[in-house]
Amino acid sequence: MKKIPVLAMAIACALAIGVWAGGKGETSGGSKVLYFYNWVTYIPEDVLQTFEEETGIEVILDEFASNEEMYAKLKAGGAGYDVTIPSGDFVSIMIREDMLQPIDMSKVPNFKYLDPEFLSKITFDPGSRYSVPFFAGAAGITVNTRQVPAFEKSWKIFTRDDLKGRMTMLDDMREVMGDALKFLGYSVNTKNPKELEAAKQVVSLWRDKIVKFDAETFGPAFARGEFWVVQGYVENVFTELDEALAQDARFFIPDEGGPMYLDSMVILKGAKNVENAYKFINFISRPDINARIADFLTIPSLNTEGRKLMKEKTAYSYEDLKRCEFKEDLGRDVELYESIWHEIRIGK
Amino acid sequence: MKKNHGLLYTLPTGLWVTVFFLVPVIIVFLYSFLDRGERGGIVWRFSLEAYRDMASPTFLHILVITMLISLAATVLTLLVALPCAYYMARSKRKSLYLFLIIIPFLTNFLIRIYAWQAILGNSGFLNNLLIRAGLIKNHIQFLYNEWAVIIVLVYSYLPYAILPLYSTIEKFDFSLLEAARDLGTSHPGSILRVMVPNIRAGIVSAVLFTFIPTFGAYAVPKLVGGGKNSFMLGNIIADEILVNRNWPFASATSILITLVTTAALGLYVLANKSAARAAQRKKT
Repeated sequence: MKKIPVLAMAIACALAIGVWAGGKGETSGGSKVLYFYNWVTYIPEDVLQTFEEETGIEVILDEFASNEEMYAKLKAGGAGYDVTIPSGDFVSIMIREDMLQPIDMSKVPNFKYLDPEFLSKITFDPGSRYSVPFFAGAAGITVNTRQVPAFEKSWKIFTRDDLKGRMTMLDDMREVMGDALKFLGYSVNTKNPKELEAAKQVVSLWRDKIVKFDAETFGPAFARGEFWVVQGYVENVFTELDEALAQDARFFIPDEGGPMYLDSMVILKGAKNVENAYKFINFISRPDINARIADFLTIPSLNTEGRKLMKEKTAYSYEDLKRCEFKEDLGRDVELYESIWHEIRIGK
Repeated sequence: MKKNHGLLYTLPTGLWVTVFFLVPVIIVFLYSFLDRGERGGIVWRFSLEAYRDMASPTFLHILVITMLISLAATVLTLLVALPCAYYMARSKRKSLYLFLIIIPFLTNFLIRIYAWQAILGNSGFLNNLLIRAGLIKNHIQFLYNEWAVIIVLVYSYLPYAILPLYSTIEKFDFSLLEAARDLGTSHPGSILRVMVPNIRAGIVSAVLFTFIPTFGAYAVPKLVGGGKNSFMLGNIIADEILVNRNWPFASATSILITLVTTAALGLYVLANKSAARAAQRKKT
């Protein structure tokens, strides 16, 4: 019987790993630190330095690249973070999973600078009881005007015959389906099978004209002149371009609108430095600081006073975002989108 | 009495294989029979839903596409690798050619795929060359379809096919070919009837070394694929984990890939056994 020792070994190893991962504990006694779990390159280094100089609180930074990654790490336990910045759908998930502390707004006086019109659109945390909005943005279309001098600011661009083989869209089911739904005048969060079927027909037309659904290489390929019309986040394209092409590239959010995201600051349950977390959130919401971050990201600010202090021109305006709609967590209904998306991918 | 230290000697390898191969496979296997968690992960409840989902026409279509692409890539690889290996084995500069075969491995796999984008792209070298030569007016779209996937897969796994073929052909006694021709076979006939059976082990390894990795391909279809016919099982797995958060279905799909590739390995073992038996028979 050779099999039993191997299996026993396997189980022992699995147990050992579990014990080791679970036993990792943090004991930070000092109140002069803040454990901050942020997106990759989302806040410039010098802003964090200013915070440390003003308050004497040291920010210990850790970074993630996707909501899923952040959520998985927090769920696995033993992370010891105080503040993080999930997107809207994940804020609602984390509220439901009891992972967040309610926010005492009296400790975040700078909350008043946030655009009330924008706040009223928030559905993932109505009344902002658990989250303080950070930045919002949306994917759009970048056009190489050297090759495509004339175009309409509409999703219809993806049905143009003359651009066949020169266009890409994101390999992202919620984004592309959301674009088609908005194009048809429906909600990006619809669960209505008829509306989804109509959106599928639209995306199928687009699919026949675009080169591929791509979320990784369209930026560099646009820079090489390989693709002329790409749908995606502005920062993924413009960071790849030389100055001349950046001059000739236009980014726009179509008139029909599309899905958008809003990332918000939250304080985690079990945070050990709650007071520092409040100081940090209030600091980030201060108009001058907010403007510095907005200039770094070159996207519109939600901070009414911060907007006035910005120096850089943004790729799209706050008005553009008004046409867009927040992506909400669909729960298990995401399966409706899944099956349609796979059908689109194989041409059914 | 001599003590048997076998277990002790194999303990490091045994532990390594257990921790980094067996445990993950067991976890994947278990997960495929559980219920999906709302936000990814799993719920500890027995469920066959992941396997039931596989019966969907969409999934079966993707399975067939994956099969066809990896079979086409395997056959093409073999057709290119055989003459290469033959030439190498008969050449006087064997080590130089071997070195040349290994050179691509010095560069990262992904970078080599990106190089293919630069060669075959709409504004790539090949299109520019053809346009400048006046042969075509507008670009031809070489990339972003199933053929591009097959070409890049053939390129990627060619060395893995050439090396085992080379090592068996090199050991082959070429005087047998002369003997066959003396006995009246044509040149192609001698290769087909005398050489091929003798290098069978090399051919089977070459087929496996191409079929197994191409069947689970992920990066190649993602980077040079496109259109309707290049979405493969590997891409489904990534999609289910990253986007749909359906871990059981992703696990079931990778179990399917494991089963298909294990079946291929099983055929290899069987082929080897029957070859060994045939050799035994010849001797007696």
